Amino acid sequence: MNTLPLRRTAICLALAAFAAPALADPASERALIERVDRLARELEAVKAELAAMKASDAVSAAPVAATSSVAASEPATVLTSYGEINLTVPTEQPEATQFDIQRFVLGFQHRFNAKTKLISELEVEHAVTSADDAGEVAIEQAYVEREISDRFSLRGGLMLMPLGFLNETHEPTTYYGVQRNFVETAIIPSTLREGGVQGVFTLGEGYTLQTGVVTGPDLSSWDATSTDGIESPLAAVHQEGQLAKARDPSFFGALNWRGIPGLQLGASAIGGNATHGTPGFPTASYLLWDVHARYSPGAWKLSALYAQGSFSNTAALNAPLVGNPTLFPKRFDGALVEAGYKLWQQDDLSLEPFARWEQFNTGRRYADLGAGLTPARRPTERVTTLGASLFLSEGVVLKADYQFFQQANDADRLNLGLGWSF
Amino acid sequence: MELRALVGLAALLPSGAFATEYFTAAQVQALAFPDADRFEPRHALLDAAAQARLQAPPVSQLAKGQLAYVVASRQGEVIGTLAIDEVIGKYERIRFAVALDRAGVVKQIEILSYSESHGQEVRLAAWRKQFAGKPATAALQVGKDIANISGATLSCTHVTEGVRRLVTALAALRAAGTLA
Repeated sequence: MNTLPLRRTAICLALAAFAAPALADPASERALIERVDRLARELEAVKAELAAMKASDAVSAAPVAATSSVAASEPATVLTSYGEINLTVPTEQPEATQFDIQRFVLGFQHRFNAKTKLISELEVEHAVTSADDAGEVAIEQAYVEREISDRFSLRGGLMLMPLGFLNETHEPTTYYGVQRNFVETAIIPSTLREGGVQGVFTLGEGYTLQTGVVTGPDLSSWDATSTDGIESPLAAVHQEGQLAKARDPSFFGALNWRGIPGLQLGASAIGGNATHGTPGFPTASYLLWDVHARYSPGAWKLSALYAQGSFSNTAALNAPLVGNPTLFPKRFDGALVEAGYKLWQQDDLSLEPFARWEQFNTGRRYADLGAGLTPARRPTERVTTLGASLFLSEGVVLKADYQFFQQANDADRLNLGLGWSF
Repeated sequence: MELRALVGLAALLPSGAFATEYFTAAQVQALAFPDADRFEPRHALLDAAAQARLQAPPVSQLAKGQLAYVVASRQGEVIGTLAIDEVIGKYERIRFAVALDRAGVVKQIEILSYSESHGQEVRLAAWRKQFAGKPATAALQVGKDIANISGATLSCTHVTEGVRRLVTALAALRAAGTLA
């Protein structure tokens, strides 16, 4: 501390100025000397106390005045972003090697007051969007959250459904692999978002319940001539808040338990009628559910998930579509197991290799339409992914992996990716 | 005495908006040291080297080169120390407290306020209990001696880092003999 010499100098100057006119009187001179001695003793006491408050090389004593700078206001609006830039190299079809700015997302969170805030994300997929390009611009989420109590919040707007691991937490820094896993793409069409209201209940003992009433898919938009329904049955009919038919609401619920550190056990479901009274369409419903578990002992991260989807009344839905390549499946499902390990870490850098095995079938079962008319079950695809994530910081990751496809083995591919999130 | 910090911890805390305040500074120190009959607020200043080593985020009091803490005592005998600080979870502030026993071992941590939309599982007693009994020499790192919470990774990581910073700073004060 350099305050002490300055203080002593200031005191001496003050005393000198005060004493000068009184020096002619011997009594006053004695009083002044006593006073100086007393002040000197007090000064020594101050000096000793200051020395006692000094820390070694880490912390030292300081005047209180500096604390005023601790108080700080925070911006009510926070800019957020995540993105993925990927290179895909199909090793059997090198001519199909592709570079893609797969996702570029900008968002903001704005806090109106202590209990009310807006969360939003605007996503651009595949870099360019126009009538002639493959890109897409979409609102990924836009909802207002109001905290009712410390255990209950209400949300309203366009929200990501709390399904599986990825749908709500989908930034590239949060999952292994350059591409999102197939189960949470083909079966759970991440990122599935719906408009409506949601309650989030913190139940204690590690239980969290999310439930609500939202829009759902529109089964009347199914295109039997397209392969979209084979790639992901629900992604083929989702509405994503775009002039969405909303006569038939969907209901969802997700219960997760995190009562033991490192362990998450959860289940979720969403479903409802989904033909919205469209003329010519029979009433039909859908259901999508999953169970998932994640355990993170030490440097390990172990995950497992099973998801299943179904459409009802598919015999009636498919009857007019017979002869087309893509009919409504009665059931579609998938499962995965994954293990990751934080192998190395130095400061912000860390390396996490992982392995994932998954299987999925987007046409596990079809309703009986009669001999020669009922679609054959689709083959179950099994994919093994081996790779690693190299984190340059908490928010930037370089990824590399190789994927082996059991059915479409000419689709085996090397993936390289750069991702960020903040 | 001018050079002795006479301000309470509450006066030292940042003024950012929080959705929910679970504990005030006074409540959390009483919770951590129910047997204490005196809480003495103190304040110290980090030197530049210590500040650089701790790498505190801007919302932390340590980033301003300061360390406000209280010394809990009973019948004139020091029984522990407590400090409060803040970190950013994913987007918003988390205010937390670390209580150390007389030997500098973590007694408990508490979350005073949390306002993120996700990740408030860091408030779970089961997660916070992992810190109890950890000495200043412990790694205090998610993935090593502190287990993560799936879906609350950033909150877990940043609170753990915040705890480690306070434990380190208070250990330095202890080593200097200023906590007696």
